[in-house]
Amino acid sequence: MIFNSIEFILFFVITLAVHYLLPSRFRWIWALAASTFFYAYAQPAYVPIPAGIALIPYFAGIQLENTGSEKKRQQFFIISTIVIVGILVFFKYSNFFTNTITELVNIIRQKALHSTNTVTNNLLINIAAPLGISYITFQAIGYLIEIKRGNHTAEKHLGHFITYLFFFPKIIAGPVERAHHFLPQLKEPKPFNYDYFTDGAKQLLWGLFKKIVIADRMAIYVNAVYNNYEHHSGITLLVASIFYVLQIYTDFSGYTDMALGIAKMFGFELMPNFNRPLLAKSVTEFWRRWHMSLSTWFADYFYNPIAIEKRNWGTWAVIYASFVTFTVLGFWHGANWTFIVFGFLQGLILSIEIFTRKQRKKLRKKIPQWLNDSTGILFTFGYFGFSSIFFRANSVGDALNIIKKILAFKGPLFTDSTSMLLFLLLAAFYLAAYEFKKEFFDNRFTLSANKYWLIRNGYYCMLIVIILATAVFDGGEFIYFQF
Amino acid sequence: MLKFFYNRQSSGWEYGTRYSAEETTADVLIFGASRAQQQYIPTYIEDSLHLSCYNVGRDGTPFFYHYAVLQAVLKRYTPKMIILDCEYAALKKTTSSYERLSPLLPLYSNHPEMQPVIQLRSPFEKYKFISHIYPYNSMLFKIGVANLESNKIKQQDIKGYVAMKGSLHEPLKTIDHTVKYELDSIKVNMLDSFIEQCRQRNIDLYFVCPPYYMNTIGTDYSFAVTKQKAAEKKIDFIDYSKDSMFLRSPQLFDDTVHVNFTGSKIFSAMIAGELKKRIKK
Repeated sequence: MIFNSIEFILFFVITLAVHYLLPSRFRWIWALAASTFFYAYAQPAYVPIPAGIALIPYFAGIQLENTGSEKKRQQFFIISTIVIVGILVFFKYSNFFTNTITELVNIIRQKALHSTNTVTNNLLINIAAPLGISYITFQAIGYLIEIKRGNHTAEKHLGHFITYLFFFPKIIAGPVERAHHFLPQLKEPKPFNYDYFTDGAKQLLWGLFKKIVIADRMAIYVNAVYNNYEHHSGITLLVASIFYVLQIYTDFSGYTDMALGIAKMFGFELMPNFNRPLLAKSVTEFWRRWHMSLSTWFADYFYNPIAIEKRNWGTWAVIYASFVTFTVLGFWHGANWTFIVFGFLQGLILSIEIFTRKQRKKLRKKIPQWLNDSTGILFTFGYFGFSSIFFRANSVGDALNIIKKILAFKGPLFTDSTSMLLFLLLAAFYLAAYEFKKEFFDNRFTLSANKYWLIRNGYYCMLIVIILATAVFDGGEFIYFQF
Repeated sequence: MLKFFYNRQSSGWEYGTRYSAEETTADVLIFGASRAQQQYIPTYIEDSLHLSCYNVGRDGTPFFYHYAVLQAVLKRYTPKMIILDCEYAALKKTTSSYERLSPLLPLYSNHPEMQPVIQLRSPFEKYKFISHIYPYNSMLFKIGVANLESNKIKQQDIKGYVAMKGSLHEPLKTIDHTVKYELDSIKVNMLDSFIEQCRQRNIDLYFVCPPYYMNTIGTDYSFAVTKQKAAEKKIDFIDYSKDSMFLRSPQLFDDTVHVNFTGSKIFSAMIAGELKKRIKK
């Protein structure tokens, strides 16, 4: 049940109405029931898996808090983390690992034994990974780390804790919500707040707009080109790669806006995930603005501990931490070498940015601000676009072939029809206009928050008309559902 | 406003769909997807059979579309002959087939006979028509362009036929058709109904498969089912899929499944001649 489906609208309206009809203290029960139904609608047989994962940090958290001995606390923490991560690895990566081992065995057999017989991988698991398993895992581990560090107390209410992990707007693709941010909200009485509710509805509408007017429109072109890249020219592949950056951004940030908007309409506040990353002036800044709930999670629980542990290495500690963090982050996206290369490329550029920080600072003083900013934005966009070729391609070989073709920069531009081209340009224009306005003129020329009722509501009516007239209603799922 | 400009179109594919459903009174109609629209030149059939002909085929449409257009046509008049283009995997079950009914959305409100087919898109389809903008979704620019007089000159079709201009330069490939796939029971039932309606109205129905530029191992499952139905219902099945002259001539193709303009002229002359022979019999 994706957010942009009629089934979801029905589910959402009923869930929301009942939510506000119930007294505050019972609302978590309804939220949990609705979230379980939401999950079961997609994968009914899989419900016990996230439910089982949720029990581990709940009990481990209480044990961690109640155990006095540091050694025992450490043991509890390690064992529970291994079990949680083990479940994720089993479902998400076992085929990748067994395939890689099988391929290695075959290479060794062919080289050393001169044998043409090959070993087949008999350990393949023919089941899909449970939806949202990565996000549940991250939240569970983050919760345990915070308790172990003594920053937060363990949640004693099992129902509240499972609701935190299961809350339907975020269960499938985040944001990676922090327990200490969400759990207190479950305990507060939440009377209906008109302004908060309408803010949520507006954010939901804008998220829907980004997904079905922009992302799904871009997807038509990108899929047509990338799925048959052999038949397309370098220029077409370049244009498709640029559109892919816009697609993945609007798809994921559209989903996030919808998740945040829905949560707001229920009276909950979730962590923001995007802050106009495509206007970042460096890759370092980009990762502070892109998938913020995950990048801050990695910073807090992965990058910082590594950098602190290796602090006597000086700058190399930061570089080492960047490489390890981003390679793992890449691998998290999926069991494919393309994602590992994607992560590695991020680590590489961040290292270069760290090394050249002083020189870039000096250079900035010599050139005008606008030139520096625009060069930075273009470079960051270009680099992310380049690395996203690996993210989108089916294999590293395919990605390299695509890059080779782009560098040749030859051939005609594929345009299926004038209409398609106009829709793509219009979608790109909407996005650019919105992002530039928000970034550089946030409090000026505002339509959505205009003081005049007519302009404000006229703007939202216009959005609805544009959605009905130009949206792609047959578009696919959100890209990040697969991760 | 969108409805006004949709109905005012005088060229383009949306115009073709509306014309097929609401205006054509041709004696011979050609049904199918891109292989129909881009391969059968109606004038060749007109010259050979001395009957008027219109190509109601449309690129990227599934069998549901052809069936829905037939319902609209039969509501108005009875053509003398129908040519149903047969292609590989036509009866295969795919979700995209249902999505590809979107060209029919603007016709929904005026054509109750088409509504059951259009409603196959989703269980909530009929409720979406509460919005009067929805039927014209994603057609804004197409409708705009198709209202321009200049488009009439640029986007020429020959009675529904659209020429492909490319030329293939690649060796013959072999495609394995031995693996069976899941058939869409709705498509199969619609094919039965298509045949039955033609029989009831005494319409000469022909199944035709134009050339492919590929060798095949085995027979495509949809193809086999259609052939079997043709044999059972005594419908002529004219098969050029492995025509040796075309298999030797990649220059007659735009890609492996569509002949180009030159190829269309040759193929149309062949099928027109063949139909003439069969009518005489």
